[in-house]
Amino acid sequence: MSPLFKAEGIVKRFGERVLFDAASLELETGNGYVLVGPNGSGKTTLLRVLAGLDSAQEGKLVYRAREAAAAGPYPEPWRREIVYAHQQPYLFRTSLADNVEYGLARRGMARERRAALAAEALAWAGLAARHGVPPHRLSGGEKQRAALARAKVLNPVLLLLDEPTANLDGEARAQVLELVRALITESHTVLIATHDPEIIRLAILTRLRVSAQRIEVAE
Amino acid sequence: MDLLEPTRQAFALLFSGDRELWGIIWLSLWVSVAALALLAPLCVPLGFVVARIHFPGRRALVVAMQGFLSFPTVVVGLVLYLVLSRRGPLGAFELLFTPAAILIGYMVIALPILMVFTVAAVQGADSRIYETARCLGARPLRAMGTTLWEVRFAVTAGFVNAFGRVVSEVGCALLVGGNIAGLTRNIPTAIALETSKGEFAYGIALGFVLMVIAVGVNVALAWLQGEGGLE
Amino acid sequence: MIKRIVFALATLLCAATAQAQTVRMATTTSTANTGLLDYLLPKFRSRTGITVQYVAVGTGAALKIGEQGDADVVLVHDRESEEKFVAAGFGVKRRDVMYNDFVIVGAPADPAQIRGMKDAAEALKRIRAAGSAFVSRGDRSGTHLRELQLWRAAGVEPRWEGYYLSIGQGMGTALIMAYEKRGYTLTDRGTYLAYLKKTDLQIMVEGDSRLNNPYSVIAVNPSRHPSINHAGATRLIDWLTSDEGQRAIAGYKVGGAQLFFPSAK
Repeated sequence: MSPLFKAEGIVKRFGERVLFDAASLELETGNGYVLVGPNGSGKTTLLRVLAGLDSAQEGKLVYRAREAAAAGPYPEPWRREIVYAHQQPYLFRTSLADNVEYGLARRGMARERRAALAAEALAWAGLAARHGVPPHRLSGGEKQRAALARAKVLNPVLLLLDEPTANLDGEARAQVLELVRALITESHTVLIATHDPEIIRLAILTRLRVSAQRIEVAE
Repeated sequence: MDLLEPTRQAFALLFSGDRELWGIIWLSLWVSVAALALLAPLCVPLGFVVARIHFPGRRALVVAMQGFLSFPTVVVGLVLYLVLSRRGPLGAFELLFTPAAILIGYMVIALPILMVFTVAAVQGADSRIYETARCLGARPLRAMGTTLWEVRFAVTAGFVNAFGRVVSEVGCALLVGGNIAGLTRNIPTAIALETSKGEFAYGIALGFVLMVIAVGVNVALAWLQGEGGLE
Repeated sequence: MIKRIVFALATLLCAATAQAQTVRMATTTSTANTGLLDYLLPKFRSRTGITVQYVAVGTGAALKIGEQGDADVVLVHDRESEEKFVAAGFGVKRRDVMYNDFVIVGAPADPAQIRGMKDAAEALKRIRAAGSAFVSRGDRSGTHLRELQLWRAAGVEPRWEGYYLSIGQGMGTALIMAYEKRGYTLTDRGTYLAYLKKTDLQIMVEGDSRLNNPYSVIAVNPSRHPSINHAGATRLIDWLTSDEGQRAIAGYKVGGAQLFFPSAK
């Protein structure tokens, strides 16, 4: 069986600085992956390239046997199935429910159905009671949970999470961790860039390491 | 000279619903609003593109727009006059001394203001807005709309600024409108010329209305921005 | 307090202007637009050393300026309001200076068919009936007041939507607007001739006795406004009505045509 998503020979430079030199990775359907590596090794950049937010200089992306040059343009239909969540999520200045419904609306879903799914996702994230609060008044942990609900509700084929527990500690981190754990088991395929030892330790995850401008499978 | 008596007359005029007076006010308002409404679908997306997309000459364009911010309106009027006059290149349309001529002038004056404010608003916008929209499945046009909506108060500030500028400018409106009673006489031209006729009450009444409009719109914006929840 | 400061400033200003030997004149746009003043006043200065600063507005506004003591002398053309001005004690030493005449001018196509008519009021009636554009000064100037008298004579209320264009501006602007709108206007002959190259308007009606246009000069009453330069005003009036001044007026020509005719007695 061919992998769900493949990146081959990715070359990414910022000016003189080479971040990736012919880096490759493969993601199998249904698996969870964690991407580790020191700060500045390019974890976020890699995720952004995979999500079509940044382009690379060379290499290609293959998703479900369709190919696209990593130098762009990113195929529009992929965006419906590959969802990326920022390390510090941005919530639109509407209601929390509108935030969660946003992606569903883009997929042409009817209003009632959207509202029902959004309510369900907010309840999943433990935010049912907070749905009327303006997003900018939410705490960091609540924002992250809302962003996870916003991504989960779209039921993505490939979910790319960037440091979901960074900048959080104590109770907030524990709550987000709980959701991440749930996402790993409930979702199709997940790739998480993180430093968090608790996530890295999760047994079901395949560990990928960024090192020496390449990506390797770590033990 | 006596200030109280003309002021009393001014308010009498305003509250008696003097048709000519309110006609002048109405003209000022509708031409200003129409000019901005016609510009909005052009300037706002264009401002977004200029802010987001790097193309050759972009920097020069932004600098030029900045420069045009303080372009003298009377010069806009002069150029437009020459263009619209019957001996000018667009003379065949017979637009000089019509409300349409003022409208065009207002659009020329407002265009750089709307552009500069929109560009600044979009450049100041969090880059995650557009990215988040795209990641959640929005196509570029929708993501642009979402971004503009998120920074709507900064964009609106451009409209308020442009409105304040056109509604109170006298040079262009007088030159290309001609201050024709009932046709192209608006608040600033009426103030300028009624005062020179010694009709102080009229000038005071219109000046008061103009002040209320200009201050009111800015207060409304400030209030809206407060409601918008600045973080 | 504020009044006192304003008064002090005004006194200072007057003192300054008096020292520089200037006379402030309020006059009509026709004398300025034709170029007459810029031709005449340097001659007066070289004779007397007095500089004349003028504001060109409508007769109504010029008289108002004189009434408030913001000018030393007025040069205007509307008998009726001039007489009221003097009778109310605002002005003294009214003297006839010169005259020219009004004409009704219009677009060459002459949509109202008034070319060659001798009765100005009848011509206005026809313009109205034809629904042609008529540009009115609308600024209480001598020309505007004369126009209103003619409308009264024609028995027509000059107020019809879209055609009667009241612009509240000077003669030059009115002529240009009549040209742009392919309509008619009432103008003094002098300004019309001075603007000949700027429009294609043609004289349609002339020679009606109601179209005579006499100009007078009036000194602002010094007993009402003691700070004004009455001596300078008097010298200007004396010079304008002297043989030399009158000859100078007669000698002013635009495109070979004499615009104003001396009338001092």
